Amino acid sequence: MTTSLFVVETAGLTKRFGDRTVVRDVELQVPRGSAFGYLGPNGAGKTTLIRMLLGLTGATAGSMRLLGLPVPDRRAEALSRVGAIVEEPRFHAFLSGRENLAIVAAARGPEAATRIDGALDRVGLTRRADDRVRTYSLGMRQRLGIARCLLAEPELLILDEPMNGLDPAGIEEFRFLIRSLVAEGRTVMLSSHLLDEVEKTCDAVAIVDRGRIVVQGTIAELTRNGPPTLVIGSADNARAGMLLQVHKAVGDVAAEDGILRVRLHERDDRAVHEAVADINRRLVEAGVPVYRLEPEHASLEQRFLEITSRLEEAA
Amino acid sequence: MSALTATVAPLRRPFVPLVRADLLKLRRNRAMVATAAAMTIGATIVPYGVLALLHAFNPTHHGPAGGVANLGHGAGVLALFGSVAAVIVGAAAGAADLGNGVFRELVVTGRSRVALFASRIPGGLAFLAPLVAVAFTIMAAATVGLAGSLAAPTVWLLAKTGLWLVLELAFYFVIALGLASVIGSRAQTIGILLAWRLAVTPILVSIHALGVGRDAVPGAALERIAPQTLGEYVRQSGAVPMSMMAAVATVLLWTAFAVGLGAWRTATRDA
Repeated sequence: MTTSLFVVETAGLTKRFGDRTVVRDVELQVPRGSAFGYLGPNGAGKTTLIRMLLGLTGATAGSMRLLGLPVPDRRAEALSRVGAIVEEPRFHAFLSGRENLAIVAAARGPEAATRIDGALDRVGLTRRADDRVRTYSLGMRQRLGIARCLLAEPELLILDEPMNGLDPAGIEEFRFLIRSLVAEGRTVMLSSHLLDEVEKTCDAVAIVDRGRIVVQGTIAELTRNGPPTLVIGSADNARAGMLLQVHKAVGDVAAEDGILRVRLHERDDRAVHEAVADINRRLVEAGVPVYRLEPEHASLEQRFLEITSRLEEAA
Repeated sequence: MSALTATVAPLRRPFVPLVRADLLKLRRNRAMVATAAAMTIGATIVPYGVLALLHAFNPTHHGPAGGVANLGHGAGVLALFGSVAAVIVGAAAGAADLGNGVFRELVVTGRSRVALFASRIPGGLAFLAPLVAVAFTIMAAATVGLAGSLAAPTVWLLAKTGLWLVLELAFYFVIALGLASVIGSRAQTIGILLAWRLAVTPILVSIHALGVGRDAVPGAALERIAPQTLGEYVRQSGAVPMSMMAAVATVLLWTAFAVGLGAWRTATRDA
């Protein structure tokens, strides 16, 4: 159960509601021990995929494995080590946080009940644990939702839009919590449309659009699509440009807004590092003072918009 | 986290904690506790209290509050109000998780959905039982202690009356639980079952043209099962002549139908 390389694997996973296909032939692989972002615009089928993985709704076609176990065939066994928040965490508002956890612990088994205090402590809710949930803020409910996930001692946490509605401090706190969970060897799969947050939090992502995964890979792979580009600022951009145009590692040079945008031929990380060092040395040796030299990365947001707008044009 | 690479032990998930969790949900709902207590304990204290006061102030016009006849009256009142309380509790037990969005949180634990449904039955009955026990104890004490010149009920009659009340309330609880699990709405369940209990049942029972079809009306069957000594006192509708066997079968079939339907819907619904 615990030795599979991927904690989530789907093949040809499809969900239809009548004539409408919400999840289309999804092939997803979530690597173990990572924070994995499942990105897509609203209505892209993110929540439906999560609901299928968790057995909340059936799949129309395809197969799924959670922690290496086929679901729904071995769903109970798989879910015993999975914690999940779907959409927003929901509770009985008239019960306290501790009582709400006790109810889920009763469903999970006797070991879960022994983890209640530790889980509350982990998310910083010990002091408010005996207050009714109706008095909790949204951020506290999100944290209580995570505490509920931790009752399973989960290998995998599946969080659906966990940062929705949180204020900046809450988002930062949540990001820290997710990273600490990953640092313990757990896998966190989170769906979101908050691209900046996913870029800061996740190691790898899949981008989904209209129910279909259009690209998946590490954040570094996705944000480094195309040749690497350097941004150079110097006291004499014209002369720097002339010098760089003849450099063997440089593809082309463009001057814009007081900087030079230099596209390199090299793609390998090591070769790029060497080229950057060489460019810097040549400019300095030629007497051009350099005050800025940095690689330019496309943000995940740029890549996301690029991919989804390309799809819109194709549609 | 404890060794991620360890082999996972077989799942050990006892049923009793689930029952306790369902009881907790009901017990901590203050409004429902107050309503159920008023409709069981309150519905017993008030009539006997009024009868006792009337007898105390005007014994020539008002007989003693106790005795067999008043046991019948009290049992009739408790059966009526108690069944309303049972419907309210059953509807809450069946629809609370769904209504609060907690059902899916329980489903994602991997726990069998049938177990999640089944635990609500003992959980709800455990909630109702003390209320019925207190109400019945008050009733028994009043009918024996305040019998005065009237014949006090025997222990056997009291036992039969108690068991019948338990059956009546448990039946309506299970029906409400099953229906609420199917339609997912507490308010609609209460509305439907109160209409059935208070309006539809008397109408059906009064339609003699239905013949043996009236045997299938659970209210009529429950009244047939009531101790015969209590006679007319516990009857809210006209008597339907049916055998005890038919009455028991009717109650059992309705119970099985409600439980089966509720379990099936809980197991198959999108969470």
